[in-house]
Amino acid sequence: MSLQKPLMRGLLAKRLRFHLSIAFSISIAAAIAFKYTVTEPRKQAYADFYKQYDAVKEFKAMREAGIFESVRPSGE
Amino acid sequence: MAHPTQLGFQDAASPVMEELLHFHDHALMIVFMISTLVLYIIVAMVTTKLTNKYILDSQEIEIIWTVLPALILILIALPSLRILYLMDEINDPHLTIKAIGHQWYWSYEYTDYEELGFDSYMVPTQDLASGQFRLLDTDHRMVVPIESPIRMLISAEDVLHSWAVPSLGVKMDAVPGRLNQAAFIASRPGVFYGQCSEICGANQSFMPIVVEAVPLEHFEKWSSLMLEDA
Repeated sequence: MSLQKPLMRGLLAKRLRFHLSIAFSISIAAAIAFKYTVTEPRKQAYADFYKQYDAVKEFKAMREAGIFESVRPSGE
Repeated sequence: MAHPTQLGFQDAASPVMEELLHFHDHALMIVFMISTLVLYIIVAMVTTKLTNKYILDSQEIEIIWTVLPALILILIALPSLRILYLMDEINDPHLTIKAIGHQWYWSYEYTDYEELGFDSYMVPTQDLASGQFRLLDTDHRMVVPIESPIRMLISAEDVLHSWAVPSLGVKMDAVPGRLNQAAFIASRPGVFYGQCSEICGANQSFMPIVVEAVPLEHFEKWSSLMLEDA
């Protein structure tokens, strides 16, 4: 009964193959996660904001709050 | 305006700034992708005692790590060029305003119809009224109508300055003897702040820019009042 010869070559290459596949998977996962947690919500937030946006109503609210200098609140 | 602990850009108030925001998100996504890849590889390489003294060359990996970065660069360049040309489009402006940098204030001229011009000095800290922002508010604001393409002609009287309003996505150098053109559309009413962005002396930080976007009829009333006061 002789022992099987242990694997003595290609250890680094084997490690590289193993870890590179994980590295690429994690980096693509990071990109997808960023896209769907930041990029797409931001685009949607801007689209939703302007879908319901009433510039006249917002302007009147800002005017009454006294934010503008060219237009004073209607009481003044 | 910017707020304390802010990390990202200010909310966009013009279509171009919205596009810039989305492009930045796209580029940052690619940056995170590359950074996680490189960080993982570094950690994997420093946490092993395995070595290979006989590596010489490998055509396969050389091709991969040449083609992949080239593809990534194309992925960044295409939206970048798109937005670059978008910013340069001739968009038939409704109004032209000249912004001229001085040491250390801005002056604005609305000369399309009448000769309206005024200076815009920072409000000194000791003269701030309640609710005004320190080092940001000015005595006279540049008023523009909303949802109208505005052309800015930017120059300087003495040294280099730069007219910048982050939320409108505008930054343009003010060069003496030169007229630089920039354009924007204020998508919504509001007050938008910026600061001089080119070194121009001791008070570069104390010559801010304030743009007030109001509906057209109020802009017209304002400009008539300003002409009467002049």
